[in-house]
Amino acid sequence: MFGDRKEWMKLMSVFGTIGIHMCASVFIGLGIGYYLDHKVFKDKTSPWLTLIFLAFGIVAGFKNLYQISRRKDL
Amino acid sequence: MEHPILFISVILQALGLPVPHTLVGDTLLAKLVSPHLTYTWLVMAFLIIMPKLTLGKLELVPNGRQNFWEVCVGGLEGYMTEQMGPQRAAMMFPMIATFAFYILVANLMGLMPGFMSPTSNLNITLGMTLIVWVTHHILGLKYHGIKYINHFTGPMVALIPLMLPIEIISNLARILSLSIRLFGNIMAKETLLAILFMLYGAFFGPLPILCLGVLVSVVQTMVFVLLSMLYCQGAMEHAH
Repeated sequence: MFGDRKEWMKLMSVFGTIGIHMCASVFIGLGIGYYLDHKVFKDKTSPWLTLIFLAFGIVAGFKNLYQISRRKDL
Repeated sequence: MEHPILFISVILQALGLPVPHTLVGDTLLAKLVSPHLTYTWLVMAFLIIMPKLTLGKLELVPNGRQNFWEVCVGGLEGYMTEQMGPQRAAMMFPMIATFAFYILVANLMGLMPGFMSPTSNLNITLGMTLIVWVTHHILGLKYHGIKYINHFTGPMVALIPLMLPIEIISNLARILSLSIRLFGNIMAKETLLAILFMLYGAFFGPLPILCLGVLVSVVQTMVFVLLSMLYCQGAMEHAH
């Protein structure tokens, strides 16, 4: 019983992070792209780097989801 | 969020110190006596003085007070050993246990009237998260050397330009998710308690939220500790 509960708590805390991690990935990607566009390249590449890094961020969120779903030790 | 009464702030204000009414003050002195910092010092004082008072001298056959601390520390160490193996658990134990006790005491302290949780400030959770984040990269570099970059390049050589930014963004998102989760949960609890207390505190209105607050405090402590353990362990493992 006790071992089951520990395992359950671990699963709960790992899977409870999926949503916020996905959200954070998207915003980090958007932030990097926005910074590169407006601060590093002085609006010359706007809006392309923002869009590209936003796509990277979304893919990173889904990749994290995929990795968690493939883990064998959970 | 302006709290109803914070007794340390009241005392410091009576002493003539410029206690700020916003989250962070302007001058250095106002920053030093802002509520989150003073309550962090209270947690530190509690965690230093309370074991000194209750523990005294360690005995082979523990009495009640020593039993309590042995259950706390021993349970945490047993759990870490189960997850990481004895050697790595012994190496990581001081840092992780410090986080565990600090976050637990800080979270639970906000449930008492007159106190507040220091973890309901983003600066404090972000500081703790940055410590964990830097530590797991240092551990990765220590265990793998320059080969640590294999953690970020993915399985195939042809996919490196695609995988590298994705992995870096995914890694940076750990800072955001770990800090904002703890901060958001605790700040929501504090704000809800303050609002309910002002609305109908005379009729025990905040009581259900106080019960939920205990659960949230314990669960968030566990999540923070478990995730920092998983991150450190993932950095020490070989890249897949």
